[in-house]
This record gives sequence, structure tokens and C-alpha cells, in this order.
Amino acid sequence: MAIDFTLSEEQKQLQALARRFAKEQIAPVAALYDAKEEMPWPVIEKLHGVGLLNAVIPEEYGGLGLSMVDEVILGEELAWGCMGIYTIAMASDLGITPVLLAGSSEQKERFLRKLTQKPSLAAFGLSEPGNGSDAAALRTRAVKSGDGYILNGSKTWITNGGDAEFVVVFATVNPEARHKGVVALVVDKGTPGFRAHKLHGKMGQRASATYELVFEECWVPAENLLGQEGDGFKLAMNTLDKTRIPVAAGSVGVARRALEESTKYAKEREAFGQPIAQFQAVQFKLAEMLMGLETARAYTYYAAWLTDQKLPQAHAAAIAKAYASEIAFDAANQAIQIHGGFGYMQEYPVEKLLRDVKLNQIYEGTNEIQRLIIARHILNS
Amino acid sequence: MKFIAVLRQVPDNEAKLKIEGGQVSLGGVTLILDGMDEWAVEEVIRLKEAHGGEAVVMALGPERFEEALRTALAMGADRAVHLVAEGYVDPISQAQHLAETIREEAPTLVFTGGQQADWDSQALGPALAEALGWPVVTWTTQLELEGETQAKAKHDLDEGAELVRVPLPAVFTSQQGLNEPRYPTLPGIMKAKKKELRKVPLSVQSKVEVLEQTIQERQRLNQVIDGSKDPVAAANQLIRLLHEEAKVI
Repeated sequence: MAIDFTLSEEQKQLQALARRFAKEQIAPVAALYDAKEEMPWPVIEKLHGVGLLNAVIPEEYGGLGLSMVDEVILGEELAWGCMGIYTIAMASDLGITPVLLAGSSEQKERFLRKLTQKPSLAAFGLSEPGNGSDAAALRTRAVKSGDGYILNGSKTWITNGGDAEFVVVFATVNPEARHKGVVALVVDKGTPGFRAHKLHGKMGQRASATYELVFEECWVPAENLLGQEGDGFKLAMNTLDKTRIPVAAGSVGVARRALEESTKYAKEREAFGQPIAQFQAVQFKLAEMLMGLETARAYTYYAAWLTDQKLPQAHAAAIAKAYASEIAFDAANQAIQIHGGFGYMQEYPVEKLLRDVKLNQIYEGTNEIQRLIIARHILNS
Repeated sequence: MKFIAVLRQVPDNEAKLKIEGGQVSLGGVTLILDGMDEWAVEEVIRLKEAHGGEAVVMALGPERFEEALRTALAMGADRAVHLVAEGYVDPISQAQHLAETIREEAPTLVFTGGQQADWDSQALGPALAEALGWPVVTWTTQLELEGETQAKAKHDLDEGAELVRVPLPAVFTSQQGLNEPRYPTLPGIMKAKKKELRKVPLSVQSKVEVLEQTIQERQRLNQVIDGSKDPVAAANQLIRLLHEEAKVI
């Protein structure tokens, strides 16, 4: 009798709150912020107001200490409303996670407490114009100088980068040493020599702001170093092993939205004298969507559960992330097909689902990288 | 001061209800705190925040009502009392049992929803007042305490509004416009876990027995106005129908 799929009373309440918030506060404005390609600060303020922002921060630093299962519950609901808006909160957790994993209690207090006191965000700076999947090939230099480091270089595709209170920046003290030369430095907003440029023209997830970060002779105190010199690469990988699970949860939310919109439309839309839901061609699509949704959700919960049990979970996070983003992409694609010509128009919400969820197959490690992680797990164990 | 909100749990307004064996089946339906009761909960929390004291939420209903009470605790109510009774209980019987517990609590006032979202009954508030022998103000849109012994309230009438003064304790029922209820918060949800939720098992004999329930089904009129020849006349006809027949404008 050890397996138990029930949610606790608090988890049910969290789910109800997040569902209501997504329905009333996110879904109605999702298309607007998508069109304007603008950060939805009023929504972020309200998220903070109800305690759903940065809630992964432990109670001792002013947060709520959500478990990974809690985060998955929350992520599905918020992403149902808008994957792009959920990415803002998710990417903030991504910036918080390395501090949680490697920060001293003094650092946690200094960096995390402020994220709980006002609507504010964190960011994670790993990718560079010349390194994506080959993360160890980063070229941003950190040179020891007195009681700190001087950063030079640039980062790209950094969600929240220009809005965040701090960015965890991965740089190298020795490029020849590849991953063994990487440091993780917390760079506060407004640090001299640190600039952020918003990137425009994204296909989807346009409510979340993506930045290029530039560091020019940017001095960062040594007290902002997470862990030791050379720990940075492992820290980045360990962070992503965790935060891929919320990406999977977001995909599950998109898949559910695609199925709900399709079901509603299929029951209303008539062709050949009957609702199109009566046709097997449409029924099969709906059935496939539910098969994908249910299996992805169940597996995402499993990966989250492994994380909360502190069991090996890197492969599970990779499976959940890749699988959920793929079934969600398929679901969004089929949702457009079921909607026909209307599905291709922005008047209906389904074309945005596809544009948004495409990114879930790319960020926090492409699905090809996930397969590499999974294959290594098979071959090395 | 002590402020009590009496609440119920009802199906979400988007729920698709089914009849099974002559009874409404709630299987698979999302159940929520009744919207009009939510205004009542918000109002007692605001009263407590403004005047101090305690905001208590109370419900008479099946075990599942606990979720709605927890929602109210997560919004900020201090504690909850749940009179547990399974099955249908008519509002008059509900009021009689609730009144006993309310009398023991000796509150400054009681607030409840103006109308139930599920059975559409408006009886609970007035029936509570009757059982307690207290005055009642229905459809309240504004409430102001004048010390601990009287209150001024504005309430809706069919064609307008009235400003009234009542001695306390009294019973008030909510109306749209009373307030904008807050969301329960995640810290509130976590704190709610530690708040008192007292359960009192009841065996209630409902004065009304439900024999069978049916869902009203309406056929669509399928009325199509042809606007292709004379759009002005078609628009006029549409306005007339919406005004005179549908009565929505």
C-alpha cells in the first residue's frame, strides 16, 4: 500500500488557488501581453500578493518552502493560463535554485530574503551566443582581482535578466580547464559594468522578457561566489536537473489547455449537420491528447516525488521535460487542426499554445540534450 | 467583538450537473465556497481587521464542506466550526441547528450569503434571524458599525436601496457590491492548517425531504434574423426581441 496518488488538503487548496488565479488573472490578459511583448508586472505583483511567486524559498528566509510536488501542481495551473507568464515565475526559481543548492546561510539570507519582501525576480545566466548545449564552452571570463572577480563577456537568452534583483552568472576563471574552471557568481541588479538588452521578436512566450547580458569590467565581490571556484558547472547542471521538472509541469498545463479548448470547440462546431466531436477523426485526436496529458502528468509527478525523496532523479527530470514538452507540442498542433481555419487565427487561443510550447522543447536543455542525459543514465548504470 | 460568517459549499458555476437515480450527482464536479458566502466571509474578516476581535466561519453540511471552511481560513478567518450533517437539510432546519451554536458563541453579528448558488434559496439568513430572535438586513451592500450595539447598513430593494439602523446582534445577508473578496493566499493556506476547525457531529431531521431532482432543459428557439436584405430593420428587430422577449436589455 505504499503508492498513493492523493494530494494533501493544503495541496488541494494550492491547486484551487492557482487554478482560480490562472483563470481570473492570467488567461484574460495572456493574449494582450503576448501581442505587446511586454512583462505583465500587474500580474507578477498579484502573484506575489497571493504568495505564489518565489514560493520555493524556504520559510527561514521568508518564503514558503514549496516541495517539488507543490511546484508541479502550481506550474500546471499557471501555465494553463499562459506559458509565457509562467516562465517568468519559473525562471525566477531557476535563479534561486543555485543559491539554495550552494549558497551559505548568509548568502541565502542576503539574496533570497529580498525576493520574498516585494514582487521581484531572480535570473540564471548560463547560455552565451557561442554556447548553448555545450555549456562548458562558455567564454565569459572571471578574473580574480583583490577581494572579488572582474567579469567580461556576454550571456544570451536570459529570462528575467534585466528585471531580476540578481542574476547567477556562470563564468570561467580558466577556459582551458573547461567545466572545471567554472564559477557561479551572483551579480546584483545595478552592478557597474553590467548591462541588459531586451531581445525582441520571439515566436512565443512573449510575455516573458528575454535578455542579452553584457559584462564589461564588472566587479563582483568574492562574497557573491556560490560554492568554490570550479564548482560552477556542476552547480549549473544540478540546478537544471531540478528545474526541468517545472518545465514539464508547464507543458502539462499547456497540453491540458489544448485539450480543453479542443473539446469545447469540437462540441460546438458543426459540420455535415452534427458537432464535429461526433466524428471519429476528431475523437481520436482528443483521445491521443488525453493519453499524452495523463501520462506526462503522472510521470512529472513521479519525477517531482523522486526529487522530494532526495532520490536520484536527473534521468527522470530529463524524461519528464522532454516527454511532456513533446506531447504538449503535439496537443497544441492537433488543437489547431481541430479548430481548422479558426485555429490559425489569434482570435482563438490555440495558435499561441503552439508558439509558446515550442520553447519548452528548447530551453533548460534541448530535448536532444535530455536524450543524451537519459542515454548516459542507461549506459552508465 | 466577534463576527460570524455562515457559509456553504456549492458546485462551481461552470459545473455540468448530471442526474443519477433521481438525484443530482456531484461526482467529478468542482466544489467551491459559494460566491455570495464569500462576500460574507470577506466582510467579517474586514470587520475584524477594522475593529479587532475574532472572525469565525461556520457551516452546516456534509464532511466535504470542510474544504470551503479551509478556504475561508486561508482568506484570513480565525477559526471554524463545522456542524457535520450528511444529506439534504432544508434551510429552516439548518437555521435552527446553527442558531444553537451561534447563541453559544454570542457574536456581535452574523453574515451569510443572500442567495445560495445551488438551490437558489434565500431563506437561510432570515431563518437564522428568526431562530435567534434577532433583526435581519437582507441584500446588504454596505455595513458600518456604530459602537458595539448598533450598525448602519445599506441594502438593496427591488427598485432602489434603503439605509437602515439595527441593534446588534443582528443577521445580515450579502449582495453584489458589498466588497471585493480577497484571494486566499498560499501563506494563508499554510497557516490555515494550524487554525482550529471544530467538528460537531449532528443528526438532523430535515423538515423537507427531497424525493426527486430533475434538471431543467430548454430547447433553443433557433430564431434566425436575416440581415442580408435590410440590416437596419434586422437590427431593430433584434433589439426588440432582446428587450421584449429575452429581457436582457
